[in-house]
Amino acid sequence: MGADILIYAILYLITVGGALGVLFNKDTVKSAMCLILVMIALAGHYLYLGQEFVFAIQIIVYAGAIMVLFLFVIMLLNMREREVTPWYLRNPRFVGGVFALTFFFLLAIGINTFGSVSQGRAPAPAPSISELATLLTTKYSLPFLLTSILLLVAVIGAVVMGRRSDPETGEEYLADEEEFLQEQF
Amino acid sequence: MEPTFLYSLILSATLFTIGIVGVMWKRNAISLFMNVELMLNAANLAFVAFSREFGLMQGGALVLFIMTVAAAEAGVGLAIFIAIYRSRRHIRADEIDLLRG
Repeated sequence: MGADILIYAILYLITVGGALGVLFNKDTVKSAMCLILVMIALAGHYLYLGQEFVFAIQIIVYAGAIMVLFLFVIMLLNMREREVTPWYLRNPRFVGGVFALTFFFLLAIGINTFGSVSQGRAPAPAPSISELATLLTTKYSLPFLLTSILLLVAVIGAVVMGRRSDPETGEEYLADEEEFLQEQF
Repeated sequence: MEPTFLYSLILSATLFTIGIVGVMWKRNAISLFMNVELMLNAANLAFVAFSREFGLMQGGALVLFIMTVAAAEAGVGLAIFIAIYRSRRHIRADEIDLLRG
């Protein structure tokens, strides 16, 4: 139980710290990075609360897809306050290499530890994913199907909103598009 | 009541409060949106905590639906922001008041 409390305390600090980072950062990109941190820490909570499937989709959908969409739009609108490159980003190859190596060694250590921990222990029962699947295909099958329609409507809506001109008349929604592009590039 | 349940609810409440404060404070529409995502995540955590406390799987299913809605919301919302930025050059939420009555 003692180790559990320690893990919960660390996760709590990471989550709340990240959330405060979202709140107090002026820079939108840093804010988004803090939000990714919060989402990954919450994924850790889900794993500890016994929801493996929610853990997986939290990382794939939230930390992966939604936050990449946010970052993409922030970069596209170019809303950064200042453009000073900090010293640690001057040499992207070096930074990328250090990150990749650190990640590799962390993974190697993790896999090694997992192998020694799981030896001599019966595999834990993991009924949660199959239970969830049963629930989604029986009791909640109608909402589950409606979800697909919602996603379809959202895709169509996003395409319509992102359009530059009226498809029938060819009329541009924005009169000063040229000026906008010159301003940007 | 399990201590993890109480802990999760406290964390969920903290995150939701921070999200509300962010929605009140921020002027930039994208920052505002990120705080809404924070609040959705807090709700997800509460669902998962209740699901564990009562030994049910319903929480996981609800989280799945919330995530779908959040993804749809982010897609359409960010497309709207891009459209607004194209015509107005900014997305300061308190200055976009064309539909004010």
